[in-house]
Amino acid sequence: MTAAVASLLVGLVLGYLGQRSRMCFVGGIRDFILVRDTALLEGLVAFGVTAWVAFPLARLVAGGLPDTPAPADVVTVLLTIGGGLGVGYVSTLANGCPLRQHVLAAQGVASSLTYLAGFFLGAILFHVWVAPVLFRILP
Amino acid sequence: MTSYVASGFSRTGADEERTRPTRVTAVHTGIVAGVLAVAAGTFFDVRPPDAYGICMACHGRDLVNWTINAAFATGLTVAPASLAFPLLTTVGVFLGAVAAAGRHGEFRWVTPDHPAKTFLYGLLVMNFALVAGGCAIRLTLRTAAGELVGSVGFIAMAAGIVLGTWWLRWRATR
Repeated sequence: MTAAVASLLVGLVLGYLGQRSRMCFVGGIRDFILVRDTALLEGLVAFGVTAWVAFPLARLVAGGLPDTPAPADVVTVLLTIGGGLGVGYVSTLANGCPLRQHVLAAQGVASSLTYLAGFFLGAILFHVWVAPVLFRILP
Repeated sequence: MTSYVASGFSRTGADEERTRPTRVTAVHTGIVAGVLAVAAGTFFDVRPPDAYGICMACHGRDLVNWTINAAFATGLTVAPASLAFPLLTTVGVFLGAVAAAGRHGEFRWVTPDHPAKTFLYGLLVMNFALVAGGCAIRLTLRTAAGELVGSVGFIAMAAGIVLGTWWLRWRATR
């Protein structure tokens, strides 16, 4: 329950600021390539650097947290590369990262609403169909 | 609040710039999001897995699958952090953005150009993100957490964005 409430509050703040700043975690790289505009790219870098500094600090304050190491076998790495490529490529075509699409949908952009419909249906599709197929064909 | 009411249909409203200067910059948002993501993961039980503080794809998946599991007693995958009750980041972002857009008179309906296409984009991005283990935000977060596989995913995502942008530019200048 703590996690649910915390994530709702985090989301509220992120959504509010995201709408005000038009933040997009994909648009930064796109804008830099297209028009050498660094506004959104700076946001992406700021997010990464802040988290990079905050992780060890938080670990220091919280004390020894149990580590839950992610699997790092070859198949996982290849899947991560393929998935990452797809996220970047399709998000660029879709004109924004998932966060940006949520924000646009919230301010009345109907194409982002259909994006979200596909997004959430995609989650079901993934676990009902895509993941089992992947499990079957991968070693 | 009168401007909150949608006024007709505009086809260009998606990224139409306002004349007022932006007071909240992307850097502000990035810093706040970074602090919140780490805090949520470390102090408020938004874990495991590690570096799970903010993710639009995984948290959205958790919410959808948890709801379906609760309603139909199915066994769709949910992250351990969402077992008891689903993470509501996506709901929060939506409501937060509604509040911000409403407060600043930026809510207006824009009819979709290609609803089938954007639907497909959403579907694909969710599937790719679940394969990679994170949306754009969480791949960045995993990189910041020093997770090697996560940074590989981030580099792949950046490469995908570069390819996508080249494709957009090529199509525009053809």
